[in-house]
Amino acid sequence: MIPPKVPAVEVQGLSKSYGSVQALNGVDVSIGEGEYFVLLGPSGGGKTTLLRVIGGFVRPSAGKVLLHGHDVSALPPDKRPTTMVFQSYALFPHMSVARNVGYGLRIKKLASRDIAERVDAMLKLVGLAGYGERKPHELSGGQQQRVQLARSLVLDRDILLLDEPLAALDANLRRDMCFELKRLQETIGITFVHVTHNQEEAMTVADRIAIIADGKLVEAGTAREIYERPVKRFTADFVGENNIFDGTLAAVDKSKATIDLGFERVDVPVDGSAASEGAPASFSVRSELVELLPAEGALPNEIQALNGTYDEAVYLGLTISHMVTLPNGAAVNARSISGAAENLKFERGQPVRVGWAMTAARLHAS
Amino acid sequence: MTDEYGNIWTYRLKWAYTLLVVVTLMMPVFYVMFVSFNKNGQGAAEYVFTLEWYGAIFSDKLLIGALWDTCILAIIATIIVVPFGLLSAKFYKRARYKVMTVSLLLSPLFVPSDILGSALLVFFKNLNKSFEALSDWLGNEWFYGWFDLGYTTAIIGLVIYILPYVFVVILITMGRYREQQTEAARACGAGAWQAFWHVEFPQIRAGIFSSCAFALILSFNEYTRTSLLKGGYDTFTTVLISQFLNEGMSEQSYALSSAVSFIAIAVIGAIIVFTLIRSEKLERVARAKTQPVMST
Repeated sequence: MIPPKVPAVEVQGLSKSYGSVQALNGVDVSIGEGEYFVLLGPSGGGKTTLLRVIGGFVRPSAGKVLLHGHDVSALPPDKRPTTMVFQSYALFPHMSVARNVGYGLRIKKLASRDIAERVDAMLKLVGLAGYGERKPHELSGGQQQRVQLARSLVLDRDILLLDEPLAALDANLRRDMCFELKRLQETIGITFVHVTHNQEEAMTVADRIAIIADGKLVEAGTAREIYERPVKRFTADFVGENNIFDGTLAAVDKSKATIDLGFERVDVPVDGSAASEGAPASFSVRSELVELLPAEGALPNEIQALNGTYDEAVYLGLTISHMVTLPNGAAVNARSISGAAENLKFERGQPVRVGWAMTAARLHAS
Repeated sequence: MTDEYGNIWTYRLKWAYTLLVVVTLMMPVFYVMFVSFNKNGQGAAEYVFTLEWYGAIFSDKLLIGALWDTCILAIIATIIVVPFGLLSAKFYKRARYKVMTVSLLLSPLFVPSDILGSALLVFFKNLNKSFEALSDWLGNEWFYGWFDLGYTTAIIGLVIYILPYVFVVILITMGRYREQQTEAARACGAGAWQAFWHVEFPQIRAGIFSSCAFALILSFNEYTRTSLLKGGYDTFTTVLISQFLNEGMSEQSYALSSAVSFIAIAVIGAIIVFTLIRSEKLERVARAKTQPVMST
């Protein structure tokens, strides 16, 4: 019998409060070895606090942190098998790039020649060969983050924590660095725990994503699961561009639930979630799965539709967002690829229907 | 001129005012130097240039002894107060109740020097009695005289006086230091002391050295508390003031005061000039090396 693998990082019942503010509230997370795990969520939600608890920079109010199965809750950062990349300002300005990268090796009292060899190899890996004698202020933002990466990876620890490492970079550089981080992680094979509030960044690099908000773990899954099949309403609202519809549960059976929106009833597939009739309920449909239909005429098979009034089209480059107002005042966003013929069909104020396949809708637990 | 729309005469007036303040502050020092080169001393009708008073400094045993005691007090007080100030500044940065913390640390500044000196005098007398009672109870003389007026009590008084200043100077310097660098050092495996010594100290070093200089100067300058707490010896300041109040300052006193002022101004001036030249050189090197910032 193969023994179960010990997670690289596990937090159990983790809580952290600052006076009356509850930054983390009973969080349980398990991260496998060699996984690229992303903590995604809105600002102030507790994801950085969670990362810093794992790293030993913050002592939890309750709960445990286990690294490779060992309880490290009482250990300071220098005694844990973790290392960290910070958002910015974390390079040592009075040291050259080579001395920055080799700092941890000097602490370990390695021989100078070994340090020099390992520093050179690591600078080459991050694409900064020959930059050893420069000072941090002589580097661009992207280069500084690479030096931070090199300084962390040279230590041969197997858990790397990244606290919004790309937040200070411009959009193009951030995109390039995402691919760079993913390549490095796959090359080296260690566990990365990455905090970000940027969804594109999360979905580019992550093997799995955990949504953290209001100090709690909302939901965890692969990028595809989080994006295409969000379980919680918060996840649907936060990730991607979903249209959220709130109503009450009018009827439910084994395969579908009927949601009463007040002005219309809509059927939504049920995946076994427990719900009782009359309870508040919500469902979501991704904006790219919503299509615009003429106000009159037969609906295609399996398509459900709501009547509304066309507002405007917003050009976003690759896509166009069509905004429609429903009778209850709620707005619906239907996205289509720019250049598609149906983009030109409707005018402001024109009656229109927004429709989607029933299977495109997701019923949500709160 | 930084304000391109400002009046040039307003700018010149501000500079003239600044120079006037500096000259006013330094005039007494220059006057003392002027008198120190006069063979006939202070207030004489005829000015005869001489260096003999500088040569005669070492013949005034009282003055030299007082200077020596002052230097010892200043050095010991600096060695004690600068680490205290550093720890206080680091504590303040992490303190939850910052207003209360800074009020406590700056509180000695709000007590007039003679009142603080008198209060310490009474405190040390009572403390001595308590320690003597403890010794008697233990049946020995181990704790006798620990707080007799002397070096110990003078140093304690100096530390209480100087600590708020050192705290503020170091805190200002630490304002530019990012705590993330300490965390980064800890993440690299450095302990707390290693992170401080390798990463933080090199960046706040200038502030610490400034606070050392400040502590030395304040110790030299201190009169009221020290005169109450020093016991039977003299400090440079107490000798000068008692001479001035009684028979007038001796020519050697003028010479030694001038020498001390000259050395202090020269040292601080040299540090400022060196720092300016070095910083200009580093800027030139950085400008020559820096590439335009672009995506990698």
